[in-house]
Amino acid sequence: MGGPVGDPTPVWAVVALPLVLAALTYSAAAMDSAFHSGGGFVAPLREGVRLVVQQRRRTLAPDALLARIGVISLPAAALLAATVIPLDGGSVWEPPVSVVWFNAMEVVAWGSLWLAGWGVNSAFPLIGGYRFVAQGLAYELPHMFALITAGLGAGSLDLTEVAAAQDGLWFAVWMPVAFAVYLLSAVAMTFWGPMSHPVADDAAGGVAAELSGPDRLLFFAGRLALLTVAAAAAVPLFLGGGAGPWLPGWAWSLIKTYAVLALLVWVRGGFPVLRMDRFMTAAWMVLIPATLLQALVVGIVVVN
Amino acid sequence: MGLRARLLRFAHARPRAFVITAPGSTRTRLFVEAELRRRGGRPVASPAAAAMLVVCGRPGADLMAAVHTVWEDMPGPRSLVRLDETASADDVAAGLDLAARELADVDAQWADARARRDRGPWSPAGEDDHMFGSAHHHSASSEPDHNDHGDHGGGHEHHMGAPMGLPMAGRAPDRDGLKLDVLHIPLGPALSDWPAGLVLDLTLQGDVIQAAEALTTGGSATGPPFWEEPWLRAAAGEPVTTGEAERRRAACHLDSVGRLLAVAGWDNAADQARVLRDRLISGEPGRDLAPRITGFTRRAGRSRVLRWMLRDVGVIDPELAERHQLTGPPARRLADASARLSGWLDEVGAAMERLDDPAPLRETEGPRGPVGGRPGAAVLALLPGLLDGAELAAARLTVASLDPGLDQIAVLSGTTDGRPGG
Amino acid sequence: MEPYIAVLALLGFLAAVVTAVYALSWVYAPPGTPGTGPFLSGARPREHALSRYHVRWYVVTMVFLAFDMEMIFMYPWAVVVASVGTKAVVEMFAFLALLVVGVVYAWREGAFRWA
Repeated sequence: MGGPVGDPTPVWAVVALPLVLAALTYSAAAMDSAFHSGGGFVAPLREGVRLVVQQRRRTLAPDALLARIGVISLPAAALLAATVIPLDGGSVWEPPVSVVWFNAMEVVAWGSLWLAGWGVNSAFPLIGGYRFVAQGLAYELPHMFALITAGLGAGSLDLTEVAAAQDGLWFAVWMPVAFAVYLLSAVAMTFWGPMSHPVADDAAGGVAAELSGPDRLLFFAGRLALLTVAAAAAVPLFLGGGAGPWLPGWAWSLIKTYAVLALLVWVRGGFPVLRMDRFMTAAWMVLIPATLLQALVVGIVVVN
Repeated sequence: MGLRARLLRFAHARPRAFVITAPGSTRTRLFVEAELRRRGGRPVASPAAAAMLVVCGRPGADLMAAVHTVWEDMPGPRSLVRLDETASADDVAAGLDLAARELADVDAQWADARARRDRGPWSPAGEDDHMFGSAHHHSASSEPDHNDHGDHGGGHEHHMGAPMGLPMAGRAPDRDGLKLDVLHIPLGPALSDWPAGLVLDLTLQGDVIQAAEALTTGGSATGPPFWEEPWLRAAAGEPVTTGEAERRRAACHLDSVGRLLAVAGWDNAADQARVLRDRLISGEPGRDLAPRITGFTRRAGRSRVLRWMLRDVGVIDPELAERHQLTGPPARRLADASARLSGWLDEVGAAMERLDDPAPLRETEGPRGPVGGRPGAAVLALLPGLLDGAELAAARLTVASLDPGLDQIAVLSGTTDGRPGG
Repeated sequence: MEPYIAVLALLGFLAAVVTAVYALSWVYAPPGTPGTGPFLSGARPREHALSRYHVRWYVVTMVFLAFDMEMIFMYPWAVVVASVGTKAVVEMFAFLALLVVGVVYAWREGAFRWA
């Protein structure tokens, strides 16, 4: 149960968190290459090594500091968001409003992409950065309504308590709209698959067009780490957390996280990219009313 | 050094190539795409993402300048592969093998890197000769900011001057009567999933196109344009069956569809289209391929999200088509990009029906319009009007959905003009 | 371990990993950082890309801000709904209904369309 902010953190959690996050992120990359480019388990390692042994580049008159902040804040946001995800009986940090913390860290990606796109002083990355800001305006509100709906159902903004409140009936089952919108926004916040317009090849790679070597490695690793954390957060929010028969809680959390992650990775093959000039109207006129109705239904259930 | 070499060999086993195609070198590009796929690599969208620069065909001067720029901007380790338009599949494989060896050659790569470090960074002041890109610059005409920003172009450039030898963005009125910064961005010639030889000089405010000008960069290629080849041979009196020509037509449309899907960001379906295209060209029997191609066209045609994204993009009305004498598939589906996609898919289906037709080829309607005409010229002429006010992403989809074949227009020497039917 | 120390330790670990990546690259990548032009399909730039960007969706941004402020109320609201009861639900959704009416108006005015 989530206590005050001052609860001591077990040392194992601090050690385990980055290892689990790294392992899951690598799995996401491996699944992506297995699903979509026919590469094996070793393909992400190969790409990682290639980027480490590649030179960095410096475009003409860049704002190097901003670009660097943009690139590095992406893995940092993923790691900080991961600190509140319940591992087994506790997270690294248990603020009573961990849902809000997760939300706040995920919004860091807005800054990351815009800074990385602006900082390199190149037209395509600039366009990519602004594409992501527009994307944020479309997905963020439905995303927040989905988070609030889960919090409303549990009467708490603590991920551990939200998970505990789903005793017997997962929120994914009786809040399907919120769950579906959450999955969509997980894809959107990590500019992945159908929501990858900010880094799309039609603008020569968008935000990432000028990134090479270690910059590119950290940027794309950070993106996959964020996707992993978004998948992991879906488990306490909508899939009952570590609850399940026979196996211990951490095993169920891991299995469910893998399942969500595999779904998110797989979805990339099925759709073209959504452009915000089309999607914006749908997000405001369909997704927001749908999530609000979902919240209303949950609210009515809660007060009765 | 041993470890470095091993790391490089390991890292570059899957090639990441930036591919630039000169007009008239379609066959080489197809070999390169197939060979990259066979090696588990793929074409990438920017020089920063690439380790290899593959040049298909022999570029003319403008395109050569672009090749040079891209090469200069690639991070090391880097390798350049040049394949002319007559390269065979084996030549392509040998070229990529050589590139892989070059990439793992520590001494050469380190020497290259040191030489670049000694030369110093690129700067606009250092190369006045092609500071403005290539020679097509002078023809730009409709640029309101270019002449007037000295007088009332606004504070930006007055305060900032030209940092690092490059001016800040000038300003121009937009459609709402505001004065906003404008950027001049060329699309092409060195751009992925882009028609070979096409250059669009764009004047952008944000990502909205205020003005567009369509130009071509040339290349020198011998031999007939690849997609029209069966029709040209038939016109020259050689015996060509209808089946052979229809096979080429289906492959050509699948190439266009693959490009459109790639620009639309659906890599998975684009790869599928390209695999099927290459299997068609390799002469695989129609009865094996037909079910797969039907499956693919159904998948691409049924995607609601794709239709949603392509609807109302690049709408051509009959009046516009008439004015520019548009021919070929876009003229048969006068509407938006979505209609043009289904037009291609339908024509692929129809061509597959006739794959085994042994009748001698008589018709002259090639995959992109009447063979011997210049269907690409009409597309070039109507593109600027079509792109005015469009968003960059929509512009790319518009171009991909028209996929003008510029081989007849942009080939400088050894053109097909002198050939029968050319 | 105090939670804030744990979080700081994780950030330190990340800093170490990032530094290690750049250090490894410095050792194993070819020397130097090439100074390049921005990628413009093979052309050189005519002006710096940093510019006042024509954001045509700024109306959406305004509508978004209105809603985003509202979210600040909604987070604490979610926690107390069960204790306050029906009144909380009625008040919040009456407020949201007003906002949605505003959104519908903005939509009819074409705020979500551009280009």
